[in-house]
Amino acid sequence: MSEILIVLFGLTLLWASITNMLGTVIKILVVQGIILFGITLLKTNHINWLSFSLIALETLIFKAILIPWFIDDTIKHNQTRREVDASVSNFFSLALMSLIFVLSFALAASAPVWSLKVFPLEFGIAFATILKGMFVIIANKKLITHLMGYLIMENGIFLLSLSAGSHLPYIVSLGVSLDIMLSVLIAVLFIKRIRSTFDDADSPQTLRER
Amino acid sequence: MRSGIILFLYPLLAIVFTMLLSSRRRIDILVLLHSLLHIGLGIHSYVNRNSLLGIDDLGLFMFLILSVLYCAVAFYRLGYKDEHSVKDYRVHSVFLMIFVMAMDAATIAKDLGVIWIFIEATTIASAMLVNYYNRKSSLEAAWKYLFICSVGIALAFAGILLLVISQPQNPTLLVNRIDVAAISPFWLKISFVFILIGFGTKMGLAPLHFWLPDAHSEAPAPISALLSGALLNVALIPILRVDRLMRNSGLGEVAKELYLLMGFLSVFIAAVFVLKTKDFKRILAYSSIENMGLILIAFGIGSFAHQAAYLHILGHSLVKAAFFLTAGNALFIYEDKNYENLGSLLKINRGSAWLWLISSMMIIGLPPSPLFTSKFFIATALLKEGAYLQFGLLMLLLTVVSWSIVNVGLKICLGDSERKQSLNALLYLSPTALLVLASVIGVFLPSLR
Repeated sequence: MSEILIVLFGLTLLWASITNMLGTVIKILVVQGIILFGITLLKTNHINWLSFSLIALETLIFKAILIPWFIDDTIKHNQTRREVDASVSNFFSLALMSLIFVLSFALAASAPVWSLKVFPLEFGIAFATILKGMFVIIANKKLITHLMGYLIMENGIFLLSLSAGSHLPYIVSLGVSLDIMLSVLIAVLFIKRIRSTFDDADSPQTLRER
Repeated sequence: MRSGIILFLYPLLAIVFTMLLSSRRRIDILVLLHSLLHIGLGIHSYVNRNSLLGIDDLGLFMFLILSVLYCAVAFYRLGYKDEHSVKDYRVHSVFLMIFVMAMDAATIAKDLGVIWIFIEATTIASAMLVNYYNRKSSLEAAWKYLFICSVGIALAFAGILLLVISQPQNPTLLVNRIDVAAISPFWLKISFVFILIGFGTKMGLAPLHFWLPDAHSEAPAPISALLSGALLNVALIPILRVDRLMRNSGLGEVAKELYLLMGFLSVFIAAVFVLKTKDFKRILAYSSIENMGLILIAFGIGSFAHQAAYLHILGHSLVKAAFFLTAGNALFIYEDKNYENLGSLLKINRGSAWLWLISSMMIIGLPPSPLFTSKFFIATALLKEGAYLQFGLLMLLLTVVSWSIVNVGLKICLGDSERKQSLNALLYLSPTALLVLASVIGVFLPSLR
C-alpha cells in the first residue's frame, strides 16, 4: 500500500511540471501533505496517541491545511496574477522532471547492495522531489512560487527521512519537525511583513544578485 | 558542566531582564556582561581543556574567536547610537544574545544533528538582526538571507540523512564514533556533497552566496562584524567534522577536489562582483566571500596549507570585524554607502580614516597581518603541488579584490574638506583592539611547521 502512495507522490511531481496556475500548485501541496500522512502512518510500526498527534500535526495540519491556506490567502490578499510565471516552458519542465526521475532512480540502483538499507523506489522519489523543489525555486520569478518550491523540497526531505528507516537517531526526527515548523513559521511571518511593505509579493529583485 | 550551565543560564536570565528594562544603557551593560562572561569561560576552557561541556580543539578555536569578536562588539555598542526606540533596541539585543547562544551551542556540539539545529537557529535569530532598520532594502535582504540559507540548511539536512543511510548498522551522528570500516563510501560521498553545498551556503560560498552581500551590507555594523567574523566560521565546523570522516574513509581526495572547485568559484565570483559594486559595505561582504573561498582552497591543497587555513580563519575574523566596525563609523559620518559620493575622511575624522586604511592593508594581506602569513603559505603550497595554473589564477583574482579594496579606501580617505566630526571614543577602541590583536598574532604566530 505504501508503494502505491509513493508512486502517487511521484505523479504529483509530474503534475507540478505541467501546470501554469498557482492554485494547482497549492492543490499539489495539499495532496502531497495527505499522501505523506498516509505513508508515515503505514510505515510507523508502534503508533501511540502522541506519535499519531505529531505526525498529524506535521503532515495534515501544517503541510496539507495551514500552509496551503496561508499561500492562498497571500495570493488573494495581494491580488497576485494566478499564473506561475515560470522562466521555462511546460515541455521543458516535464522533460527535465523525467530526467530528474531517471537520474534519481539510477543513483538508487547504482548503490552497492550491502549498503542499501533504503527502498530504491522511496529513495528515488524522495531525491527527485528535492531536486524538483530546487528547480521550482530556480526557474520561477515570484516570491510566492519560491516558497512553494521550498515546500516541495521540504516534502522530499521528509520522504527521505522516512526512507532512512526506523533506526534514525532521535535527533533526526527532531530535526524534521523543527525544520518544518520553524522555517515555515518564519517564512509566514516574513511574507506577512513583506506584503505589508511591498506593493506586491512579486519582488523581482528577490533572490537575484544585484 | 558548571561552566556550561553558566554559559547558557546567564544569557537566558539576561534576556528576561532585558525585556523588563527601559534604558538602553542598562541593556548595553547586560550584553557587555554576557560578552565578558563569554570570553572568561573561553579562557577558562583553554586553560582547563574539555571543561566547557567537553568542547574539542576545533570547537574551542571557533569559540575563542567568537568570544573576542562579541566582546569587541559589546564595547562598540556602548558608543553606537541610532534613532530607534528602546523597544526596538530591546528586541534587537534579545536576538543578539540568542544569536550568540546558538553559535555557542553549534561550536560546542559534536553531534551533527545538534549542530544543524543550532545553525538553523542562528539563521532565524540573525535574520531578525539584519532587518533592524526595517527599510525595504533591509527587509528584502533579511528575506533573501532567510530563504537562501533555509534552502542551504535543508540541503545540509538531506546530507545528514544520507550520512545516516551510509551507516547500515548502528547509525550515529557523532562523527568521531562512526565506524569507518562499516560505512558505505558511495552514500558518504553523496552525503558530503549535500553537506558541503548546504553548510557552504551558510558560509557564503558560491554558487549559493548571493544572500551574503545583501545581509552583510544591510545589517547594523556590529551585526555585520559578527556575521562575517564569527557566523561564517561556525558554518565551517560541520564541514570540517565530516571532512575528517571523509579522510578516514579514504575519500580525502574527493573532498579536496570539491573544496578547490567551490573555493575557486567563490574567489572568482567575489573578484567579478567587487568591481561592479559601489556600496562599500557590499565590497567588504564580497571580500568575505573571497576569504571563505580562500580558506576552502587551503583545505583543498592540504599539507601545510591546512594549518594556514586555520591562521586565515583567525586573521580574517579579527581584521574583517574591525573593518566592518570602522565601516559603521564611516556610515555614521556620511549616512551614505556609495563610496563614489564620499571622500576626505582623513580631514573629517582622522581616527576612522586611519582605521580604514590600516584595515584595508591588513585585509589584503600586508604585514603584520596574519593574512600575509596564511596567504604566503597557501601560495607556496600551490607551487609545491605543481599547480602553477591555479597559482596564477588565484594571484590574479586576489589582485583584483585587493585593488578594489585599496581603491575604495583611497577614495574615501583622501580629499579636502572643512567639515570635522568627532565620534565616541568607544567607536575607535574596538576596531583598534582587534587590529592590534591581529598584528600581534601576525608577528608572533607565523610558524606553521
